[in-house]
Amino acid sequence: MTKQHKGIIAAALSLTAVLSSCGGDPNSPGMEYMPDMYRSPALEAYVDYGQDPYMFDDSLVLAQRERQEARKPVDGTIPFSMDASKEEFHFPYPYANTPEGYEQAGLGLHSPIPMTEANVEKGKVIYGKFCIHCHGVKGQGDGTVVQNGGYPPPPSYTAPGPSGLRDLPEGKIFHSLTYGKNVAMGSHASQLNKEERWLVVQYVKYLQNGGKMPGAASEGTTPAVANAN
Amino acid sequence: MPHPVRLSHRSTGLVQAALVLLFSLTCSWSIAQPADQAQYDQGEKLFKQNCASCHKPDKRMTGPALKGAKERWDGKGDIHAWVHNSQEYLKSGNEYANALYAEYNKTLMTPQAISDAEIDAVLYYADNYAPPAPPPGEAPVPTGAPEETPAWPWFLVLGLLFVVVWMSLNGVRKGLTNAVREQQGLEPAPDMTMWQGFKAWAWNNKVFASVLGLLITTVLLVTLWNWAFDIGVYGGDGVAHYRPEQPIAFNHTLHAGKASDKNLQINCQYCHSGAEKSKHAGIPSPNVCMNCHRAVAEGRTPDGTQEIAKIYAAVGWDPAANNGGGAYTGEEHPIHWVKVHNLPDHVFFSHAQHVAVGKLECQECHGPIDTEMTVAEQWAPLTMGWCIQCHNEKEAKMAGNGYYDEIMARLKASDDLGHRELKQFLEDEKITVRELGGWECAKCHY
Repeated sequence: MTKQHKGIIAAALSLTAVLSSCGGDPNSPGMEYMPDMYRSPALEAYVDYGQDPYMFDDSLVLAQRERQEARKPVDGTIPFSMDASKEEFHFPYPYANTPEGYEQAGLGLHSPIPMTEANVEKGKVIYGKFCIHCHGVKGQGDGTVVQNGGYPPPPSYTAPGPSGLRDLPEGKIFHSLTYGKNVAMGSHASQLNKEERWLVVQYVKYLQNGGKMPGAASEGTTPAVANAN
Repeated sequence: MPHPVRLSHRSTGLVQAALVLLFSLTCSWSIAQPADQAQYDQGEKLFKQNCASCHKPDKRMTGPALKGAKERWDGKGDIHAWVHNSQEYLKSGNEYANALYAEYNKTLMTPQAISDAEIDAVLYYADNYAPPAPPPGEAPVPTGAPEETPAWPWFLVLGLLFVVVWMSLNGVRKGLTNAVREQQGLEPAPDMTMWQGFKAWAWNNKVFASVLGLLITTVLLVTLWNWAFDIGVYGGDGVAHYRPEQPIAFNHTLHAGKASDKNLQINCQYCHSGAEKSKHAGIPSPNVCMNCHRAVAEGRTPDGTQEIAKIYAAVGWDPAANNGGGAYTGEEHPIHWVKVHNLPDHVFFSHAQHVAVGKLECQECHGPIDTEMTVAEQWAPLTMGWCIQCHNEKEAKMAGNGYYDEIMARLKASDDLGHRELKQFLEDEKITVRELGGWECAKCHY
């Protein structure tokens, strides 16, 4: 084997190595032109500072990696807002997560927002994102998760009696949204703030009433949401 | 030849009989038919109507598993009275009922207005319940596109082969030339290295060599130029999409895909609830997973069940604790999700602007993540060209938006309070994002 042959083989091998290192590895976050303009020195959410170009000291990186970041607010904390019109949503929730608390909420807790068509419309939008997949379009407990996932069906909003939810008071609806109910329904307090929860309650009351505004007897006062279904 | 024919007749008969016997046996084993099908059906219907929200036939949920309930109550109390009105029955001071009430965190069972015979039917159904086997031959979890094997290794092999053949041919030619020269009484040709040989050839074919050289240089430069454009681009056409392996193999298609494909069709924002409030759409905290997965421990496949167990490990949920009811152990571990869409720090992007005001669908930037991607990947290139192309074409959804009310009011006002420019934009009866300042540098870079 001559010197030439060796050179050619070496070149071919290194070419293979270079090419294979450029192959599209779906796990590689790839190459960056200027890492110092890509990575924020201030901590950004969801960025793993284990890949940090500034080389923070290792103890910080490791501490950051091994810390549970997504946490519930400390008990008793209330949101801060300069909007005085929203202050009623900022008081701590007074009822305990117990069967007694549930009953008390049913008696003593009432919606701070009025039952209006505009609020029902807003509630419908939130219902469509957070409730519809279990409770179904009309609250019959026939959502897609129940139908396709075999999930335990929630009781119907329109069925009367002890096993239906037609006569469930708004305080209990809010309580269930805040703490969850039984095993099948979890707490939605981390996804919806109090105002949003009350808006959902408005729409649930609208569904309990068979898709009509409570107090409205005739078809003429039915808001547009009924048609949108 | 009558003999073998007769034998085969007899043997097929035997085989048939054996098959029939086997078939009937397997049938009776696999579909264990309850003795009273009518009562079973009635019980199933009643169970689904009245009990399924809180009970499972074979597992503990909000209430106990109904399988064997009749046996458990036998001699200890009146299960019928309990089902009719548990609150009343508790007052009677029955020991077993009060123990149950305490065990299930003082959750009262909803009084059921059904007859004793109907209660018996439900219990009969629960006792004879067998979990449905997954339908054979059906793959409920769609798999991703098959991996494409790259073609370049084959080109490399072909190239190497070509070099070897060319070199050996060269050797043969040299040998032959020297043999001819020796015959003609000349000295053997000077032993040139490959490079010397190439130079000699290029010197003899100047025009061809320079044109070829120019061509090769141009192609190389253009390739390099195009390749440089793809640095840091991990989505879009013709680029390998960034699709990192996640610590938990969450299946987007199963959770968010269309209900008509037997998927769950959960709204994207149920989990990514920050999308219309925050800069980040957000990775859901595991308590959101647990909203459903407290009741769903088993996936559609064994792999799915394994992945659900990883959520349990992260949140410290022991499904076997508390008599199979599950309990939090308090031992939590962070889940190291890998960020898929990495936007450089020198550009600002907010989900809230695009979702709440712009009213974009998630899929416009994230692609068919709900229908085709079992593993989340970067679908869009996320280059500046991609951003401003959309800003240039996209019409702002002004009507009834709230955010744009002031602009609309000024546009419609009769006076010319310095908004001639905006009115000019109205000439084509649509206002693009660019016309509202979507191409201003400082909108995104500050």
